[in-house]
Amino acid sequence: MSEVNKNEYNHVSEETTVLEINHLYKSFGNNHVLIDFNLTLSKGQNIVVLGKSGSGKSVLIKCIIGLLKFDKGSIRIFSKEIRNLNATALDKIRAKVGFLFQSNALYDSMTVRENLEFPLRRHWIKLSQEKINEMVSQALTDVGLVHTIDMMPVELSGGMRKRIAIARTLILKPDIILYDEPTTGLDPITGREIINLMIEIKTKYNTASLIISHDMNCVKSASDLIIILLEGKCYATGNYQELKSNADPKVKQFFE
Amino acid sequence: MLGQESALRKRNSITKIHRKSMNNSILLKSFFAEVGSLSKFSGKFLSRFFIPPYEINELFKQCYVIGYKSLPLVGLTGFIMGLVLTMQLRPFMIDYGVESQLPAIVGIAIIREIGPVITSLIFAGKIGSSIGAELGSMKVTEQIDAMEVSGTNPFKYLVVSRVMAATLMLPVLAILSDAISLYGSYLGVNIKGDTNFNFFWIQVFDSLEFRDVLPAFIKTYFFGFAVGIIGCYKGYYSSKGTEGVGKSANSAVVVSSIMIFILDLLAVQITELLGFN
Amino acid sequence: MGKQIFNNIKLGIFILASLAFLILLFYMIGKNRNFFGSNFTLKSRFENVQGLKIGNNVRYAGIDIGSVNKIEVLNDTVLEVEIIIENKMKKIIRNNSIVSIGTDGLVGNKVVNITSTKLNAPLVKEDDILSSRRPIDTDDLLRTFSKTNNDIYLIAKNLKKTTFDFNQSNILWKLLNDNSIVENIHLSLSNLHSASIEINNIVKNANSIMDHIKSGNGSIGTILYDTAFTLSIKNTLNNVNNISNSAIKLSDEAKETIKNINYELMKGDGAFNKLLKDSITGVTITSSIKNIENGTRAFNLNMEALKHSFLFRGYFKKSSKKN
Repeated sequence: MSEVNKNEYNHVSEETTVLEINHLYKSFGNNHVLIDFNLTLSKGQNIVVLGKSGSGKSVLIKCIIGLLKFDKGSIRIFSKEIRNLNATALDKIRAKVGFLFQSNALYDSMTVRENLEFPLRRHWIKLSQEKINEMVSQALTDVGLVHTIDMMPVELSGGMRKRIAIARTLILKPDIILYDEPTTGLDPITGREIINLMIEIKTKYNTASLIISHDMNCVKSASDLIIILLEGKCYATGNYQELKSNADPKVKQFFE
Repeated sequence: MLGQESALRKRNSITKIHRKSMNNSILLKSFFAEVGSLSKFSGKFLSRFFIPPYEINELFKQCYVIGYKSLPLVGLTGFIMGLVLTMQLRPFMIDYGVESQLPAIVGIAIIREIGPVITSLIFAGKIGSSIGAELGSMKVTEQIDAMEVSGTNPFKYLVVSRVMAATLMLPVLAILSDAISLYGSYLGVNIKGDTNFNFFWIQVFDSLEFRDVLPAFIKTYFFGFAVGIIGCYKGYYSSKGTEGVGKSANSAVVVSSIMIFILDLLAVQITELLGFN
Repeated sequence: MGKQIFNNIKLGIFILASLAFLILLFYMIGKNRNFFGSNFTLKSRFENVQGLKIGNNVRYAGIDIGSVNKIEVLNDTVLEVEIIIENKMKKIIRNNSIVSIGTDGLVGNKVVNITSTKLNAPLVKEDDILSSRRPIDTDDLLRTFSKTNNDIYLIAKNLKKTTFDFNQSNILWKLLNDNSIVENIHLSLSNLHSASIEINNIVKNANSIMDHIKSGNGSIGTILYDTAFTLSIKNTLNNVNNISNSAIKLSDEAKETIKNINYELMKGDGAFNKLLKDSITGVTITSSIKNIENGTRAFNLNMEALKHSFLFRGYFKKSSKKN
């Protein structure tokens, strides 16, 4: 499978490119987090951005989803520049981009069902109740947690919450999913389950994924392409095998 | 040995004083910064308030949570307040031979000041802290970001609805608390004396005028707005971590309680100016 | 979703309950101030409204029937008060009714009282001006009250002092409690009486002695026949006579006084108190009685001396033999 995706990467065509980042700059005061960052994500591709804590990985995906404004450069989602979009147009794009938060961001005051309904009702206000119910149970079936539908998030374990968060991301049938450290804070076995789920989703819905992680298990299993983010730049690019055999000490430190 | 110790203590005290004065200037600066950003936040609230879409369902939900759910607490405190006030006033009224004026005095005290202010303080304690903690924890666990990503303006969804709910519900609570308080007062009168239920209410209403009720009623809207906006502000700009959540809940209660008294002072002066007193 | 609707219903009830109380509050206040229902207005003019305010009650025969609507200054001495009154009172209030401003209780709110004059007159019409009575000025009232109070205070103070003196005065109590005084007085009076009888006798004897001497009976008579001497004796005897007369008079008066004292003592309270109030009278009476006693004693002594005098010894012996 990784062979196929690699080939896809090598033959980028306009139709399949869903996300394109060119010369992105972002700084907080004197702290330059992103300096001339470039990335291209195609349909059905999993890219892992690897970097140390505080290297600006989270800043990168928050810029993509529009939670943070970037200083310079361009981010194009479905060939649309998001820099100067108004709130309505940005919401339209966001409906097609799923975002899995590091802390899951499940609404504590709502049941699992309400949590899943929330983005549906927000993005597509005119949906019948039957359709919503169907989509909710579909998303819960995908993550294997149908029985939790009327529970509150606090009653769930960490791994279950992560799955519910993924279900909430999936419910909008996004073309791009942004994972912000999906396995952080989970035990290795649960982490493995989540990684398998991510791969499953990719094959099932043919989504493009941008995964931010420093968990090597995740990087190894889920990545088609790895970008090492170092000092605000794309320091190295390649698949797992390529980078593992890379002699550069700065690259090597990630694989030790 | 002793000399050394005292010298050390002296140095410590000097550095302490130095640190204190530094702290004071920082505190003062942060106080003004706080006032400034709170005003900005209120301005943002007002500008967002009029722009559609309106979060009507969320507003109803918040009204239920903020208003209806506070009724038992507010009612209990109101009831005790009326009862205690009556029992405390009674001996003095008897000393002056105006025991029969007890319902009138208690009625005016409750409707004009005690009802609105005590209710608002209880409300600030319950709602200010819960809003502060809720929004604070939502901020910390990225729920606010998640809302924004889900095509929702979190400011409108969370802040506007809560502030509106607090503004609309506090007067309702204050009125009910007044009624419950007066009922408590009726029981208080009846513990030692004997008053007919209808006669008690007639005496209360007889002593009241519009200028007693209206300013007291109107000022509760401002108290409610203050509690809502300060709670939301503190929660919305809560610093990261669980400590930040606790802090925002705590300071929401403290600041809104002080704000209630400041507004009360303003209200009494404005009513004075308008010739309502 | 069903839960949401249920919550909204509870919220609705909650808000409606509050609204109901607010409306009740406003309605009751409005009713007290006659904002609802049909009313008519009446006017009256005053020099001074004593702090009457808009919204104060209007009463007819003690019933609240309306409220003050407007107070207008017409000129420097006249104020016009406009009052709103329930329509049903239109059939009761006559246009000769008198309007006055009073106070609800001693320190309560001002009220406007409409008083009927009990004389027949047409019923009031809208905007009639009723005649007014100068309101009772609380200040005046209090001023008078204060003066009366002062007087009462003084009286009470005097009364207190009198009572105190009365309680403290031993003489008075002695006088009141001592029966012996009365007995003494009686005794003195009887002494006085017998003394006066004796005086009479003495005077008679003295006269006959004088005759004897004049007619020159006995040797001694001749010796003594000296007009000057006789005259002086005569004078002496006249004096004695006068004394005896006044003694009789005194004894009569004393008798009268004692009778009075007795009467007063027996009669009790009123007159009794009057006597007691004046402690001086008591003291005077005591001293008078003492004086009388002394006088009588001295007189008896004189008489005894006269008996033993060599000049009159013979006469006394003769008269005692005769007796």
